Amino acid sequence: MSDSALESFERIVVPLLDDAYTLARHLMRDEHDAQDVVQEAYLRAWRHYGSFHGGDARPWLLAIVRNCGYTWRRGTRVQRDSVAYVEEQHGGGDDSHRATDAAALAASDRAELRDALDQLPPEHREAIVLREIEGLSYKEIASVTGTPIGTVMSRLSRARQRLQDALRLGARAKEGDR
Amino acid sequence: MNCAQTRELLNAYIDGELPPDQAMALSEHLTTCAECAGIYEELLATVRTLREGLVKYRAPDLLRARVRSALREEERPATPAPIAKVRRTVRVPWRALAAAVVLMVASSGITFVAARQHVSAESLTGDEVLTSHIRSLMPAHLTDVASNDQHNVKPWFNGRLDFSPSVPRLEDAGFPLLGGRLDYVRGRPVAAVVYGRRQHVINVFSWPAGVTGDAARTLSTNHGYNMLHWRSGGVEHWVVSDLNAAELQQFGMLLER
Repeated sequence: MSDSALESFERIVVPLLDDAYTLARHLMRDEHDAQDVVQEAYLRAWRHYGSFHGGDARPWLLAIVRNCGYTWRRGTRVQRDSVAYVEEQHGGGDDSHRATDAAALAASDRAELRDALDQLPPEHREAIVLREIEGLSYKEIASVTGTPIGTVMSRLSRARQRLQDALRLGARAKEGDR
Repeated sequence: MNCAQTRELLNAYIDGELPPDQAMALSEHLTTCAECAGIYEELLATVRTLREGLVKYRAPDLLRARVRSALREEERPATPAPIAKVRRTVRVPWRALAAAVVLMVASSGITFVAARQHVSAESLTGDEVLTSHIRSLMPAHLTDVASNDQHNVKPWFNGRLDFSPSVPRLEDAGFPLLGGRLDYVRGRPVAAVVYGRRQHVINVFSWPAGVTGDAARTLSTNHGYNMLHWRSGGVEHWVVSDLNAAELQQFGMLLER
């Protein structure tokens, strides 16, 4: 019985690792913290797999990732003496290959977008990730974030406005460079 | 619908979250109000930029390996939800059962001393090595230095250990280097070099041997993990993973070269 539960978890939840990592990465804004949060979230998800009643596992999993992320930020963060410079130096980053199909300019635009997103307050960041990257409905976003749909709407609207302003500023700065 | 209402609902309109009658009223307003139409176009362009430009991160392979290993470890004791409960209720009967076995063994005339002697120093070390492996799969414990380049991992141990562990490059054979960390086994600091194989984590522990003479590579199984041990050139080697025995043997052979 335990085998089939794990098999089902591995078939349904484990393939969502990129989704979980993406949310954690934008919430934590640090790749190591994001990895720890995702691992913790997966353990929690597995322990509570009985409470998942079918349907789309993404909102269910992302809610757990989000909670783990906020708990982590509140101070369960463990001391880590990881040598971060090595990875930076050697491009051990996890997003470099993403841009292979796009032109160099597009890659820098993407990096700029991610930076702009990471400047927003966490509740705006998560709204954007859940809507624009994950494509969740307002209702699903409301259930992931534990907020009313009206709040989801106003956060999304404000977040988009801020990103629009940031991108416009960025574009203007580029114009100025020329 | 007036301008204020329209602007408040533009985001929901773009996201297809408005009920049909509201959506219709809003789109009608857009055909008659150039200012709102301009704001709508700009917002639509922003949303398109975000959807095209923001892409998912790909989870690092190391994370995949960690999650998989942690799940397997978690899965071992019982079914998911009632884990805590089962553990609590099982513990006592286990002890009683163990006591019963001891009584049976003792009363059947088999001396316990023989069994005791089998608990050799080596198996104690094996248990500690396995514990270290499992602990390494917990969040933030796998590597102190995360790198797939042996020229980073090897020097990292300098000054942290009184010997230099070998960190061969085995990526071409399908065993990428993931990093290294300092660990403790039997009260002494040891080198733990971490390799991956698909989604499996392989820990390679090594330290200067306390006894002389080489020992050939042996495979053992402990709690479902495969372990290799050998001693060569005055260094103890322990390799632990949930990888299958055949591939772990292959890894051991490459490492021993």
